[in-house]
Amino acid sequence: MLAVEYFEVECPEPLGAEYYKQIANDVLLDHNLLKVVDKLHIFIDPRVPVFVAVGILRKITTVVRVGDFANVNPQEGKMTLVISDETYLAPMLKIFWERFGKDKVEQPDRFTVILYDVPVQAKEIEEIVVADPSESVHKDLIYALRCIAPEGFRLRSEVFTGSKFLFVASENTLAEDIGTLIKEKFALMGEVPP
Amino acid sequence: MMLVPVTYKGGIYQHDIVEDLIEDLGGYVVQKHILAQEVVLQCFVPRDDIELIREISRPLFGEVTDSPLVGTEIAIVSMSLEIHHLPHPSCDIAEYVRRLGAKSNMVSLARGPGKRIAGLNDEERDVINEHDIAVYLLGNFETCIEYKMPTLRRGIEVPIVLCGGPDIEVLKKIIDPPVDGYVGNVGRFMRRTKEADQLDKLDEIVAEITRVLEKKRDEIAKDPLSVSPARLMGVIREKIPEILDVTSPTPLTVQMAGLRVKLPYDTFAERLRHIEIEDGIQLGDIAEVHPSRMRDYILVRVLPFSETNTVI
Repeated sequence: MLAVEYFEVECPEPLGAEYYKQIANDVLLDHNLLKVVDKLHIFIDPRVPVFVAVGILRKITTVVRVGDFANVNPQEGKMTLVISDETYLAPMLKIFWERFGKDKVEQPDRFTVILYDVPVQAKEIEEIVVADPSESVHKDLIYALRCIAPEGFRLRSEVFTGSKFLFVASENTLAEDIGTLIKEKFALMGEVPP
Repeated sequence: MMLVPVTYKGGIYQHDIVEDLIEDLGGYVVQKHILAQEVVLQCFVPRDDIELIREISRPLFGEVTDSPLVGTEIAIVSMSLEIHHLPHPSCDIAEYVRRLGAKSNMVSLARGPGKRIAGLNDEERDVINEHDIAVYLLGNFETCIEYKMPTLRRGIEVPIVLCGGPDIEVLKKIIDPPVDGYVGNVGRFMRRTKEADQLDKLDEIVAEITRVLEKKRDEIAKDPLSVSPARLMGVIREKIPEILDVTSPTPLTVQMAGLRVKLPYDTFAERLRHIEIEDGIQLGDIAEVHPSRMRDYILVRVLPFSETNTVI
């Protein structure tokens, strides 16, 4: 976990902590969230049982533009886009349809989009913003933390603010003083709860 | 004649020669898979004739390997069907034992996860008991395993192999009364098992399953079955041709002491009981025919010699 500044898993069972560190790493890696999380502290006590994950998020400034995943080749009367990554193809087409009209946009195959007689330069097309990953980051993070937490822990409390998050889960009703535990875990990272 | 489980792998060209040879030698083909140009036969063959099969299949580039799990049906008991346990490790393990000839079924519990809330219902218990062995895949914490295992094993009569995150010594210490097999350091993980050390772990699970099954085989050998399930399979296939129309991958699943017939119980049970195996001996005389808890299948349990006084 090179990108994360602080990453600890705390558990009364050392071997369990080691496994959960691996699981957290794998899940965050799979969901492409390692570059989003700055600090993460996970505390699991299977005797209670309780699972606590607290952390700090990094600001995501990058947006996805057409130029990031497509090659724009201007030709006479048309512009051919060669797509290298299909992930953002659907939102891109939607934007093109709205802006230029369906009759001017053609997609002969999966990796090619042709624009006919559009009144813009290739450079402008490349600059069109297709997606903003920061919009869905909280949703993705909640899903990832649900995957990391032991499955039986179905009573959850989640708080996600701009740059901080906390996620508590248990199979029993959460203790009333759970706030103290959360404060302790934030303090370990040198932070305060949101 | 001692029959041993082996797998034959070879080209499709002239594979019927090998199939006929196995049958002529008194062996049984339990499963046959044709994958493009390749044929995989999982079979029981007489121990002394393995060399002969190797010899004859050599010009066909066939390969005969030992497959200790052929002719067994294994329940891989996963705590749930959620992303937490699938596809890793549950599917990885289920698929790995299948490669070695076992028929593995994944039994996922409705309320398996958690510590206090974990439970096993009667249907799950009965389905697990229909198998030769149950492989329990538990989590990473010894506290949880210790707490929930008594609940999860209640009423289970087949041997249990327990896989869990803690070390094997810890597992042995916390499980009371002991189960038949343990594999440590295989808890919940969320990555594919493809590295050498992870594959070694899968081999360790297979070795433990094989060890427990060998013990069960020895137990059965002390009071031999009235008829070999593999032989019974051939007889059923011959006498009830409807089984050939079943699209399931293994319409007749051979177990160590019985077999699962994937036909509706109500329609076929009586016919099955009255199949003549040899010299007027009917299937109903030497085996019990039960409805299975798995769909509406039929479960045939072959009785031992001590109960029937017959061996055919």
